[in-house]
Amino acid sequence: MDSKDKELDKKEKRKAILCVSFGTAVGLVVYGIFLYFKIAIFGWNLGLIFAPLAAGYAETILADRLIGQNVGAISAFILFIDTTFYSFILKNPTLGFNLITAGSIFVILQAAFPTLINYIILVVIGGIIANFINTLKKYWRQIRSALRKQQYVKWDGPTVEIDIDSIVKFNEDESNERLNNLDFYFITSTDMVNKTYNIVGLYQAEIILEKDTSLIELEPEKAEIKQLYNLKKEKDNCLIQLAKTIKSNGGNGVLNLSINYNLVGLKGDNIQITAKGMGINIE
Amino acid sequence: MILTSSNTLENKEVIEYMGLVTGEALIGSNIYKDLFSGVRDVVGGRTTRYEEEIQKARDISLNSMIEKAENLGANAIIGLKISYDNLGGTMGNTILVTAYGTAIKFE
Repeated sequence: MDSKDKELDKKEKRKAILCVSFGTAVGLVVYGIFLYFKIAIFGWNLGLIFAPLAAGYAETILADRLIGQNVGAISAFILFIDTTFYSFILKNPTLGFNLITAGSIFVILQAAFPTLINYIILVVIGGIIANFINTLKKYWRQIRSALRKQQYVKWDGPTVEIDIDSIVKFNEDESNERLNNLDFYFITSTDMVNKTYNIVGLYQAEIILEKDTSLIELEPEKAEIKQLYNLKKEKDNCLIQLAKTIKSNGGNGVLNLSINYNLVGLKGDNIQITAKGMGINIE
Repeated sequence: MILTSSNTLENKEVIEYMGLVTGEALIGSNIYKDLFSGVRDVVGGRTTRYEEEIQKARDISLNSMIEKAENLGANAIIGLKISYDNLGGTMGNTILVTAYGTAIKFE
């Protein structure tokens, strides 16, 4: 860092200190007003919350104008320490830790250290809540399972296992052959070089695929494999349908082919597969 | 195997259009559960775990497509398109990654 940069850095620091001082002053004035007019709930002065907030706000506004960035609401934290020391130790030592105090500490800390507090909210508290809910769900399933066992007579007959893997195995090679042995050109680019062709028109084919939700509860991962199988199968059918339509109109190929998948239906329960492109007749 | 989203290959001559080749991959809803353990990434503005899953799905679909093109005897894919579609709703959060293009043989 050369002397010019050092000078600039010093200037920035001076401006930052000015912003923090200004914020602190504003906060103290606000706290003074709250004290003077005795704006309090159950003997607890609301200035403890609003003064740090006002300090942080004033500091941020000034810093934005002078430096063009946030300096971290340091004045809010200074106000938090000042007001807490004054209210809890000097002025009112009997006022203890309660819900409002905890809330105000949280709000002030959030203003002073937003990244840290957001991390705590999202990761720590979120994780605890999720674990708690999962534990409750686990116990609920166990209770429900125990109740069901009491309600139904055990089946002693032979059991038939459904081999889902064999149902959902998609033959990629077969699909590839099926699509490319139609005596039809599926072209995804917008032009065919070294070929002469006439445009037949714009064509589109759609298929609505109903989501199979029968396996979701039992085997979510297998349900997804089955869904992918259905999507591949119906995509092939959609392309074949498009080829047939173009062929019936005198074409033998499609240019700029695009395949789209969209959710349709009231709750997005169906998937619409669309294949569209420019029908052509290649000489 | 050359992959391109353009209509042609620069300084190469297309000898034959071999056909359409496609590849699909589905990102399952289970990864969202895994994502929860990586919430830290979200705080930093990026979800690296999620990015990894998307990249993995894209690689699967591309490789599946390339394999089909090789089976057809092609040495390039032109007009390549890759799309990401959310198949959420009652199924949960699942994302379909599709890759498709025209397999060609060039000289």
